[in-house]
Amino acid sequence: MKIVVTVKLVPDTNATKRIDPSTKRLVRTGLETVLNPYDEYALEAALQLKEKIGGDTTVTVFSMVPETGKEIVRKALAMGADDAVMLSDPALEGSDVWGTAVAMAAALKNIGFDLVICGGLADDGSTGGVPGALAEYLGVPGVTNARHLDITGDALKAQRETDSGYQVVNVTLPALVSVTMAVGEPRYPSLKGIMGAKKKSIVAMTAGELELDGKVGASGAKTELLEAAAPAARAKGQIVTADDGASGAKIIFDFLKEKKLV
Amino acid sequence: MRNVIVYVEHKAGQTRKVTFELATEARRLADALGGKAHAVALGAGAKSIAETLKNYPLDTIHVNEDGEVDSYLLDPTIDYMEALAKSVDSAVVLLPNTMLGRDVAGRLAARLDAGMNSDVTDIRPEAGRVGCIAPKLGGAQITTCAFKEGAQFGVVTVRPNSFAAQAGGSGAQIVELAKPAGKTYRMSIETEVEEASGEMGLEEAPAVVAGGRGLGGPEPFETLLRPLANALGGTVGASRAAADAGWVPYSLQIGQTGKTVSPNLYIAAGISGAIQHKVGMQTAKTIVAINRDASVPIGEFADLLVVGDAFAILPELTKLVQEARAHA
Repeated sequence: MKIVVTVKLVPDTNATKRIDPSTKRLVRTGLETVLNPYDEYALEAALQLKEKIGGDTTVTVFSMVPETGKEIVRKALAMGADDAVMLSDPALEGSDVWGTAVAMAAALKNIGFDLVICGGLADDGSTGGVPGALAEYLGVPGVTNARHLDITGDALKAQRETDSGYQVVNVTLPALVSVTMAVGEPRYPSLKGIMGAKKKSIVAMTAGELELDGKVGASGAKTELLEAAAPAARAKGQIVTADDGASGAKIIFDFLKEKKLV
Repeated sequence: MRNVIVYVEHKAGQTRKVTFELATEARRLADALGGKAHAVALGAGAKSIAETLKNYPLDTIHVNEDGEVDSYLLDPTIDYMEALAKSVDSAVVLLPNTMLGRDVAGRLAARLDAGMNSDVTDIRPEAGRVGCIAPKLGGAQITTCAFKEGAQFGVVTVRPNSFAAQAGGSGAQIVELAKPAGKTYRMSIETEVEEASGEMGLEEAPAVVAGGRGLGGPEPFETLLRPLANALGGTVGASRAAADAGWVPYSLQIGQTGKTVSPNLYIAAGISGAIQHKVGMQTAKTIVAINRDASVPIGEFADLLVVGDAFAILPELTKLVQEARAHA
């Protein structure tokens, strides 16, 4: 069984992020980037499945990332993935959600899979729509927000989180799932894993192999960024010390009354 | 894009509050674009939901109570939505930025080969184009992103509590939406388990009372936070530390790897307010924090930080809010 995990490189949460006014793109020079935190959970879910199913199950990492993103792909290999495919091409820069989904779907078809596992959201654009769009373009069932996966033969049973609980959903492979953090804390790469990752294969793929004419990059995008600006910072408010519960409660209550919130 | 279609998310005969916000915005947007405002409700209870929507300024509400919408995951919904969008011919589709809304949006955008703008907090139609304002990169940048000229369809997910809901309409037409023919569905729902039934969606609650590491265990979430949340007509949330410790389910987690909320009032008890938490709640209209430590990061951006003991303050505050409500 072939499991493919999609991973993405995102700016570190703590990093200062700027958008270049002329290109309307994120300035990536000198920006600290990390493996999208959500994707670590996707990888963890894949590695757990591999351990459970055994046999000839393999885990392939796929990333649509510039060449400079090799580090995060290496990290995923160090965590335990078997091999990786990197789709890197300047032609892909500036793709919007739609173009990204089209390009990723073409690449995944090319790689071949029984199961694709995605993180629930990306930490930068946070669109959350990519897994659904991918499933649609791949023509496979897509179960989002899964917190538990069971595979028997080609039958996948997933617990899918809802706002108030979960659903048990049955689909037949090939399929795509996106997972939540409830699948389990991602493992740390072991020293052996880090050493072994250096020997694992990273296949380079280009947009040219995928026939993406006119669908990717800023020119192929369906949307365009008109403006980007840092928001006005929230002003520092009042800080008041309360000697006891009653006085603390009164301070808050009066404040809420003034704001017409009670 | 001329017309507007609102996707109505509902469950157990209740529609989400955000639906009314979207219906109000749909009218404003349709008027600006010179088109009509539509809504669509599918599955069990759709017709009674449509009746409640009649009080809002929509032109047409499309319904179908097809049971397959509820017994199969998403596929039937997407088929109906695609058919409606194509029959309306040129439309921007508004969905709530909720777990379900994001799912439907991504798949529908692919089905229609449409662009998508997500987690939008404001929409500015200018010169026939739909400009969507959204915080991106963890709120570090506020972006305005428009669909390109001449786009036939656009899909937009809207952060709940971004628009005010305003009733008032001349009575929308309710029409049956025909079932798309010859479709096969592949994701069957075996069971649905409610773990927090009756719980308001965290993403659209008008008030959120959230607890963190400082609460020390699971009990205070029920004994201290829930009564206050109930009195405020809101719900309970948590920091990642509380979810990681297993005190609350992950579905209550707010922040970078949890939910993003934008309530009128956010009360944070025992939460330090590190950036990973801040990105999930910084657009709350009013932020009140209670913490023993005066130097916590949340003091930098909360409207009010009370330095004190949450265990002593919260029960007293709950009493005051309950009394105020009783006399309202």
